[in-house]
Amino acid sequence: MGNYFSAERFVHIFPKVISNLSVNLHIVFWSMLLGTVLGIIVAVLRIYRVPVVSGLLGIYISFMRGTPLLVQMMISFYGIPIVFGALFMQLFGINLNRLDPVIFVEIAIVLNEGAFLGEIFRGAITSVPAVQAEAGYSIGMTGAQTFYRIVLPQAFKVALPHYGVDFIGVFQNTSLVFILGVVDILGKAKTLGAATGHSLEGYLSAAIVYIAFSLLLKGAFLLAESRMKNGTAKNV
Amino acid sequence: MSFSISSFLESLQSAISYVPVTLKLTAITFVVSFFLGAVIATVRYYRIPVLSQFFAVFVTVYLGLPTMVALLLYNLLFMTFYGSFATFFHIPVPISEVNPIIIGYFTLIMGTTCSISESIRGAFRGIEKVQFEAGYSIGLSRFRTLTRIVFPQMVPILLPGMQNSLIGLLKASNLVSAISVIEVMAGALLPSLLYYSYLEGYVAAALVYWLIGIAIEIVAHYGEKYSGKYLKKTA
Repeated sequence: MGNYFSAERFVHIFPKVISNLSVNLHIVFWSMLLGTVLGIIVAVLRIYRVPVVSGLLGIYISFMRGTPLLVQMMISFYGIPIVFGALFMQLFGINLNRLDPVIFVEIAIVLNEGAFLGEIFRGAITSVPAVQAEAGYSIGMTGAQTFYRIVLPQAFKVALPHYGVDFIGVFQNTSLVFILGVVDILGKAKTLGAATGHSLEGYLSAAIVYIAFSLLLKGAFLLAESRMKNGTAKNV
Repeated sequence: MSFSISSFLESLQSAISYVPVTLKLTAITFVVSFFLGAVIATVRYYRIPVLSQFFAVFVTVYLGLPTMVALLLYNLLFMTFYGSFATFFHIPVPISEVNPIIIGYFTLIMGTTCSISESIRGAFRGIEKVQFEAGYSIGLSRFRTLTRIVFPQMVPILLPGMQNSLIGLLKASNLVSAISVIEVMAGALLPSLLYYSYLEGYVAAALVYWLIGIAIEIVAHYGEKYSGKYLKKTA
């Protein structure tokens, strides 16, 4: 390896790369927060089979699941200013072309997650046996009470493992944002590599940060799952 | 600036001409990863010492590595070390002649193998112990029991997960455009580079990916129906 990798440069570059982790976490936080809200709305609309809307959501979910996230990000980045540019300019005086690319990335991930989480939530809610809801009605609970007190807690337990996998997936997908010019850990590694002519240390730092943080998230979700274990309805 | 239909069609045409590249990348990676994943899952299921511990750690760690980071890392390593590697093995091909798609294959196979091995491990859990014992009782060897009794029963359990893996792989295959391999996405952008019609290019790429994804879904749907047949008979 000799000249290609030096521990000294690695020690020097690692803190610089990890300091940009906040950019990734910012994207993950907002995407997951808004994506979860959107996912719940999508799931509820799909479960109640609202006529036209349900069909449109089917197409939306199929598109989000069938096309690469990178393409969706790019469509968001190039498409939103073209479609809504004039409108935003007149209404709010915002020039969408000058907006930070992070915002378009987040819009793309939120829409993507709305579809994926929507399906996860829908599966979880429908997996709760109908008897459970009937049990709620039988003791005089209203529809909303039954949903929040009986169905939702059980659905939550079913959804949690999938939600965890999805969460880690979103974190890993933030590795794509450097293509749009967002300087996240990988973007920083690339810029440092271009500036110093030694990319290996930067990429290695980014890889270590991604692996460590993914394992950390995985551990956190496993812990949450084991905490949730008590009170699971047993299938007889 | 607005959406121009003519550049969209041009991008679509260009994207479609690169569909074979993406399909080949997806199909070969999937088949190779499936076999490697099955081997890793079997090794871990039988708890073969050393190997199973190694794979357990390797798969867990490797699943934390995003495909894009792995791709850039391998590409860099390849660029740096190809020269000394080639002289050592007396390979006369210069680096400029090597198709970067090899790195794409390597990266995708590594990642997909790890995730598929986890799915197959899950499917092993869905097979009852009696099934193994039934095989042993009629004198089948371990290997025969696996290939004749256990693996066929895993097919219906695995299909939904494999469909997801395949579509995920199709979507991940566009990342290789980052190391200058031309596939559907990069292909759709070729006309865009001339006319600055990036939106049209990406929409065309999305459309092509979507159609391939829908095709996979339809095939998997029929596969699920067909492979699940025997389950209904026993019920």
